[in-house]
Amino acid sequence: MRSYQLENLSQLRSHLGRRGALFEPRQAEDGGELHWLPMVDSAWPHEVEETPLLPLTSPKSFFFKEREQLFYFDGKQFVETLPDIEPQTLFGVRSCDLCAIAYLDQFFAADPYYQKRRQATLLVGIDCLHPCDGGFCRSVDAGPFVREASADLICHRQADGHWLLIASTEAGEEAVQGLELKAANEASLRQRDLRQKEVSEKFPDTSYLHAAIKRINNSDGGVAHTTWDALGLQCLTCSGCTNSCPTCSCFAIFEQTTDEGVARQRCWDSCYFEAFQREASGHNPSGEAGQRVKRYWEHKFSESYAATFGRYGCVGCGRCEKVCPGVIGVHSVTKRLATAS
Amino acid sequence: MSHPTTNTVVPSICPFCGVGCGMGIQVCDGKVVGVEPQLNHPVSQGKLCTKGWSTPYAVDPIDRITTPLIREGDSFRPASWDEACNTIVEAINAAQQEQGPDAVGVIACARATNEDCYAAQKFARAALHTNNIDHCARICHSPSVAGLRQTLGSGAMTNSISDIALADLLVIFGCDPTSNHTIIGGQIIAAKLAGAKLLVVDPRSTRLAQMADLHLQLRLGTNIALINGLLNIIFDNGWEAREFLDSRCENEAALRRKVEDYPPERVAEITGVPVDKLIAAAKMYSQAQRAMLTYGMGITQYISGTNNVIAISNLALVAGQIGRPGTGINPLRGQNNVQGACDMGALPNVFPGYQDVTDSALRQHFERAWKCALPAQKGLTSLGMTQATLDDSFRCMIIMGEDPVVTDPDQNHVQRALQALDMLVVIELVMTETAKLADVVLPAAAFSEKSGTFTNCERRVKHITAAISPPGEARSDWMILGELATRLGYNGMQWQSAEAVFDEMASLNPLYASMSYAKLIEKSGLQWPCDAAHPDGTPLLHSERFSRGKGRLIAVDHSEIDELPDEAYPLFLTTTRLHFHYGCGSMTRKSPLLERETPVGVLFIHPHDADRLNIRAQDPVRISSRRGTVETRAMLSDELPPGTVAMPYHFKEAPSNQLTNNAQDPVTKMPELKACAVRVEKIEVQEAMPG
Repeated sequence: MRSYQLENLSQLRSHLGRRGALFEPRQAEDGGELHWLPMVDSAWPHEVEETPLLPLTSPKSFFFKEREQLFYFDGKQFVETLPDIEPQTLFGVRSCDLCAIAYLDQFFAADPYYQKRRQATLLVGIDCLHPCDGGFCRSVDAGPFVREASADLICHRQADGHWLLIASTEAGEEAVQGLELKAANEASLRQRDLRQKEVSEKFPDTSYLHAAIKRINNSDGGVAHTTWDALGLQCLTCSGCTNSCPTCSCFAIFEQTTDEGVARQRCWDSCYFEAFQREASGHNPSGEAGQRVKRYWEHKFSESYAATFGRYGCVGCGRCEKVCPGVIGVHSVTKRLATAS
Repeated sequence: MSHPTTNTVVPSICPFCGVGCGMGIQVCDGKVVGVEPQLNHPVSQGKLCTKGWSTPYAVDPIDRITTPLIREGDSFRPASWDEACNTIVEAINAAQQEQGPDAVGVIACARATNEDCYAAQKFARAALHTNNIDHCARICHSPSVAGLRQTLGSGAMTNSISDIALADLLVIFGCDPTSNHTIIGGQIIAAKLAGAKLLVVDPRSTRLAQMADLHLQLRLGTNIALINGLLNIIFDNGWEAREFLDSRCENEAALRRKVEDYPPERVAEITGVPVDKLIAAAKMYSQAQRAMLTYGMGITQYISGTNNVIAISNLALVAGQIGRPGTGINPLRGQNNVQGACDMGALPNVFPGYQDVTDSALRQHFERAWKCALPAQKGLTSLGMTQATLDDSFRCMIIMGEDPVVTDPDQNHVQRALQALDMLVVIELVMTETAKLADVVLPAAAFSEKSGTFTNCERRVKHITAAISPPGEARSDWMILGELATRLGYNGMQWQSAEAVFDEMASLNPLYASMSYAKLIEKSGLQWPCDAAHPDGTPLLHSERFSRGKGRLIAVDHSEIDELPDEAYPLFLTTTRLHFHYGCGSMTRKSPLLERETPVGVLFIHPHDADRLNIRAQDPVRISSRRGTVETRAMLSDELPPGTVAMPYHFKEAPSNQLTNNAQDPVTKMPELKACAVRVEKIEVQEAMPG
């Protein structure tokens, strides 16, 4: 790991943009929402970063496509259709999303479609200096500052307005070759650690979240099925939470007739669909909406999954709360679980 | 393979229901690869339902029609636009020369843009010289338009969707917004969690009924009796809004006299709702600070549809629950642009802006604007056109993006009529059941492939732009109709852009008078009326006075359903919609996930009825009415009252409209889709298994 001083981010961004496509959170032309969009030639638009920039759409679709073809059968043979990906950079990824990508890296470790895209991608993280609306990364060990193993390059805006650049992987180190950078001193790294403590203290109280996690793990009396059923009644099966969740990775497989023959495709699935786990006989181990709500939150907060993945399945981005029409996003649910009898 | 990621995100509006949620269309290399909700959208605030999230499948290039098609025997052959248009024009000319201008007609589309719908009615009136123009509002909210125009002067949602958060009582009458208007349903749930009271009136024990403070589970088709009963209780207790009635309403005495005939005990007998619940509901609604009433097809799809709407209006006026934020009468519209299609005058009796075609001054105004003579008589409704075909007085129909074979009542009747036409033209995205009967099929551009405007159920007009190009030779409907008009010898439809269509429309439609694309974009949409007096639109109608002046109370009586159950057909059939599918399913059924969620056709039956008929979950069943028979699977549901079975109408494999009744509301010709009599039998396994 090496660290450097950096005058501004535009310099780094232009340099990385020369390696291949560079995507960053930016407002679309209508001036409204933030999206992951290709870099345009103007300067990095968020040089003076005051509000964290977290697009409502997570970056998982860069690796795990919403819909993709796996192979096709042309009448004689099966032909695999692996994506052919040029080197690309995701610039300005926040710590929560980087932790989610690290989580998906484990889930899709043996998935060639995911890995092909992932291995062609350089991840550049930016430390968040303020909590974002609904974000609670601090409470689930996913931020606010970028975890070293989760990004190739980490950018940290210092109090003096200059940037500290940390190259945390070999790929990151290689990517900044050619930039004339001065090494940063130890003091700036220590400053960063102190700053993280300061920023962490700015987050709102999430004691309800910890209480809910205890109950989900049955260490505090568990959760009554009537509570899950009441939450299930509010699930309108929109699939917004699972689509927006940066760690949700379930997919369905289907066939589609195309010009090439019969293609096997996969698409994002949602465990909130009644048919997600329905068996051919019609039997369904999660036929009730309450059972599905329970399963979803267990996947996010159960210690048994945490043991497998080294962390909770929730990275504290708060997107599920924003997209849920039925008021059963993470804050609403954990508040209910914390206080339910 | 192509570039791996999203190139751009184009702001748009969800193409399904009338809520009009904001949707960003993710485009990669000219293809729609995903959609995302818009956090700063005034209506949906970052949310979409499952149909919305599945939009990329709905407009997928797979199975799209990409060239004009002409029938050859039992199949179709690709044709040029030139040949297709000539074929259509020849048939129209022949039919009109022999039988007059009214031998042809147009069915517009509630999911096409305002520009498309304006073009459709202008095409009918100016190029075909007929008022035979209608669309599917006929079978969803025509009674709302007709009923509320009589009582208030304006047949649309009186308040804004955001008012849900302001109400302290929400009344959900004959609809399940959590299934069909999901984002509104979610806002109702949020309001309930925040402390608002919830009153649900529905024969079904819907999701909201299960959350409600009070659920009136009335018998099918007893809405007027119930409302008259509530009014009786309100007057009896002096709970009416005295000052509001005196200053803002007329004809109270006649209504009072009428509802005297509906004492609580009699109403309890007719509706099945106990007296104490009637009293509780009457008090709740009349005494609430701000009570917001929403209703759906459970009010309109009856032969008493218009009177049902009038009854709803009576209730709101007497309780003074209208004209203020957080109150109002709010019909939930079914299609993303059904409000707009009505506003555009895609109806047989009105020009754009609900201006009567029989009013000679108005007609002359349009004749001057359109530079042609216009027909003076009202035209035929959609079901009127099918009936006229069977009576040999109607010969040529152009259908834009609707699938009446699946969605209209009495399927066999509809099919016979469409087959009897000399020329059926269908403008479509995919080969629907109706398109399969066409003589000429024309390829249409989907919402993601064109510019224009949509008007949602709260009267908000929003602008959309094309995210990608249409596939093959597909075009926007207004372009297609403009081309046909020119070939028919009418030159008044040669617009160069969607904006030119909009500007012409706004110059003739008083409700849209001060709107322009620039202003719609700047203001993130505008709610009509938007005119010199209301340059920034009107989020709340009737705040000072009603559109017609005084609110009119009209005494209406309970009337029976046309076809009550009897010995031969002992069960009520009602039709419903599933959250996972939309209309005829031609868009939602392209999603593998939505298609997986339910079987292709289903009968919902109460466990008591199922038990009596020896039917278990998933059993094959045969449902018969006097008009047809359908075979499908049973699913047990205690959300229905015993004695009533339900079918969704989305599935061509098990079309509920084989069974439904074509009996119609005398005012609007709305068919009674919500109730008919059927017989249900289990299909024995030996019989069901081939061989």
